[in-house]
Amino acid sequence: MSKKHYAMRNLNVALGGEIHLQNINIDLPQSGVVTIIGRTLAGKTTLLKVMAGLQGPQSGAFTQGETDLLKIPAWKRKVGMVYQQFVNYPHLDVRQNISFPLKRAKFSEADIARKLTYVTGLLGLEDYLDRRPAELSGGQQQRVALARSLVKETDLLLLDEPLVNLDYKLREQLREEFRRIFSQSADRLVVYATTDPAEAMILHGQVIIMHEGRVVQSGDYRDVYHFPANVIAAEVYNDPPMNLLSGEIEAGQIHLADGLKLEIPAHLKKLEAGTYVFGIRAMDIEVGGKSKATLALAEVNGSSTIYHLNLTGSSLVIEREGVHPLAVGTPVAFSLDTSRLYVFHALSGDALVFPARKSVSGQGDI
Amino acid sequence: MAKIELRGLGHAYTFVGGEAQFALHPLDLTWEDGGTYALLGPSGCGKSTMLNIVSGLLEPSLGQVLINGRDVTALGPIKRNIAQVFQFPVVYPAKTVYGNLAFPLVCRQKSKGEIDRRVNEVAELLNLDKFLQKPARSLTPDLKQLISLGRGLVRDDVAVILMDEPLTVIDPQLKFSLRRKLRDISARHGHTLVYVTHDQNEAMTLAEQVVVMDSGRVVQMGTPQELFENPVHPHVGYFIGTPSMNFLPGRLHGNDVEVLGHKVGLPTTSELSGVSEILVGIRPEFISLAPRAGKKTIPGLVVDVQDMGGFAILSAKLSEDCELKVRARDHVPPVGEQCHLDLQSDRVRFYLDNRLVN
Amino acid sequence: MRNLLRLIKFAAILIWSAFVVAPFLWALTTSFKTANGVTSGATYIPFVDYQPSLGAWKGLFGSGGGSIDIMGPFVNSAVVTLSASLISLILGTLAAYGLSRFTYKAGPVGNADLTFFFISQRIMPPVVLAIPFFLMLGLFGLLDTIFGLVIVYIALLMPIAVWVMVDFFNQVPRELDETAMIDGCNPVETFWRVILPNSKPGLVVAGIFCVVFGWNDFFFAFTLTFTKTQLLPVAIVSLNSSVTPWWSLSASALISVAPLILVAFLVERYLDKGNIAGGGK
Repeated sequence: MSKKHYAMRNLNVALGGEIHLQNINIDLPQSGVVTIIGRTLAGKTTLLKVMAGLQGPQSGAFTQGETDLLKIPAWKRKVGMVYQQFVNYPHLDVRQNISFPLKRAKFSEADIARKLTYVTGLLGLEDYLDRRPAELSGGQQQRVALARSLVKETDLLLLDEPLVNLDYKLREQLREEFRRIFSQSADRLVVYATTDPAEAMILHGQVIIMHEGRVVQSGDYRDVYHFPANVIAAEVYNDPPMNLLSGEIEAGQIHLADGLKLEIPAHLKKLEAGTYVFGIRAMDIEVGGKSKATLALAEVNGSSTIYHLNLTGSSLVIEREGVHPLAVGTPVAFSLDTSRLYVFHALSGDALVFPARKSVSGQGDI
Repeated sequence: MAKIELRGLGHAYTFVGGEAQFALHPLDLTWEDGGTYALLGPSGCGKSTMLNIVSGLLEPSLGQVLINGRDVTALGPIKRNIAQVFQFPVVYPAKTVYGNLAFPLVCRQKSKGEIDRRVNEVAELLNLDKFLQKPARSLTPDLKQLISLGRGLVRDDVAVILMDEPLTVIDPQLKFSLRRKLRDISARHGHTLVYVTHDQNEAMTLAEQVVVMDSGRVVQMGTPQELFENPVHPHVGYFIGTPSMNFLPGRLHGNDVEVLGHKVGLPTTSELSGVSEILVGIRPEFISLAPRAGKKTIPGLVVDVQDMGGFAILSAKLSEDCELKVRARDHVPPVGEQCHLDLQSDRVRFYLDNRLVN
Repeated sequence: MRNLLRLIKFAAILIWSAFVVAPFLWALTTSFKTANGVTSGATYIPFVDYQPSLGAWKGLFGSGGGSIDIMGPFVNSAVVTLSASLISLILGTLAAYGLSRFTYKAGPVGNADLTFFFISQRIMPPVVLAIPFFLMLGLFGLLDTIFGLVIVYIALLMPIAVWVMVDFFNQVPRELDETAMIDGCNPVETFWRVILPNSKPGLVVAGIFCVVFGWNDFFFAFTLTFTKTQLLPVAIVSLNSSVTPWWSLSASALISVAPLILVAFLVERYLDKGNIAGGGK
């Protein structure tokens, strides 16, 4: 880590008796992209607000190198923030909106004009400069908000679920643009909060998984995907969430709680007999095979179909490529690829055994 | 139980110089009894106009609405036996869940016994039976939305249920259970259901038949699988699926269509005389990566690889202005290398003047 | 069917308008009448039904015989109402922004209690306040002065401004403030450059309430002045002597209503444009 890296130490935030952040200890690089992923109310927004200086912690430290950032008020920090709501200044047109922070920072007119031209070109806003935010579509409004945050050359750019209120196709388009835009400036740290694992994968960089105000796991976006630290990371960082089935290893077989019996695959041979939680991704279960269950719902998600199957006492999720709707109640045959099984501790939920790392390139990491 | 027919139906809110500016261009459409349909499109595509005409809030400028063969075009919403569920759950907060469900029957002065029977039936169907005595305001949004739906279901005269973006305000975590409930009800109950939504996934999850709309026109009506595999218009190919369908410029050469000099198949239509250029569509899922160049493969340069964990989206540059995406599960070459693309010939689609021709 | 409905609606609006306009019409005709014209029965069409006279109007502006000059009280009212409204609006808006955005805590007393304290000023019947006001103004020698009235009116109008503006600011997304701070505004600049320019609809509503309440107040104007400083409502009422001068009363009532009608027209045009859309979801 460089001398100017960010560090949070034992940070706690409680508001109105409710704990929002609990004992946060993280280190963030000076530049690059960090994705914070977690469900709603996991504490992502609070963490971003602490970084922006909009929320003070009850205890703990937040520093960059030698600098104590907690002593600097929001308006003196070099920070940009984009919200999930499209926040722009309603009384200003697009040009004034984007140049607002530059005027506050006392840039010269020429500098402002130059930066404005660059950022509006980057985000495709050239034709809307004279419009008020209310006259723009949701996607355009969010671009204006992003432009305002990008234009002022901040050290930190914070984005709080910026795509969640946009239409599906627009989300798909913007998340790819984000990767291009974020790579434009080398000395800025982008912190991007989301609930969608696909966005984290597309942005690359470091991933921090949060749950109920705590950091659950942190690491490279591929490592976290392949080696989830516990059941929470496995659920949050997979869409659909990883299937988690409790079961026992007994007499050379895996007995899942729902009557499913599986042969023990090679990578689990060393496990002692006992109770565990077994995890398997929806895409590692195939349609067709010996096991059968009835369909609770077939959800179409982009180019794949997700079958939710009823098991006694729990459920199983299968992801199938392509669009294949099925009527509710249809029996579906399936088979688990046991070589892809994860094993977690039955009580603590901590990961015990991972399957071999499978890379799509077939030759190690891309 | 109802069959809905739209005959020559069109609507214009404004007229410029006597010319109708159609918000909904004249169309014919039939929704079968007991079917579930989704009207899908971005805001301003005409889906809300169509919904308001069917529900009777709007009188169309042209054409007729027939419910079970009866012309209802001039009738107001009350006389159409239609229930509507809105974006925001509408419940009477001061009443209990029971009171909410019973209200439409109380208004119609049904007997106590009948009200009790119907309310209990519907509550059981919607799994609301354990909440019946609770005040409606204390429930979560998804349950409130079920109450809105339930108030339509208790009336035995309701033939059609219209739902306008019913899941917009529902938390992602609760969406699953509500989607499941809605599908379950449409399977068990004989109502004709019509959803209006801008969300592709919502439409394809909830409906048996999806009506894709754009700029006031119906672009395609079909099952989700048909929309995905056989989009009749490039717009549908773009709108449905992640990533969208790839479109490539094709040239008609004798008996074959060539993409950048490589044969990709032949459209099965006879109206190709005099045509030389044709649009070729192929989904990223239907392209495979061949290990080496072959007779059927098209060479490309890998310009981007997006590792999604279990699979990757590869972007390949075929020529200066032609790029396409491939969804691959393994053997993905790294950026900067050559790749060899194999287009599954039975999955290639051809478009002439934005119409599917095979 | 739908046309019939439209017809009924139109008729209803017409009847209601007649109800609203009738008093004004009556006052307008009466103000151009003489004593005889009023007592000789209901007549409406000038030159045909009765002979119009400018006597009442002349009297009000001091050029007719035996009447008082209404312009003095009119100016007094305008000065008191406008200055009290302006000060209330400025102080009330600042207070409201603080109450909406920052947390105050003094023992068990919090923001909600402070807000209620402001509003509670208007819950008490005016009579309860009149005596302390009278004594306090007397103590400082401010009875029967414009300055004294302005102070009292501020006390009356500021709760209204605070009430309206707290509600308004609570509707403005907090993210707008946060964005301004991130863009380099300190809290004062945030208020001044971002929140205030987007608060016109709220300010207009609060301003109208202040002006209307201030302009129409009779009770405090009556109890806290004697002869030197007369406000319009008091002046109008004092026109009433043993014989009710309907013609002068009508004319003065019209003069007193005129500014409010003007305000209503201006505001209606403005409120069409003013909105805060696009500031957040």
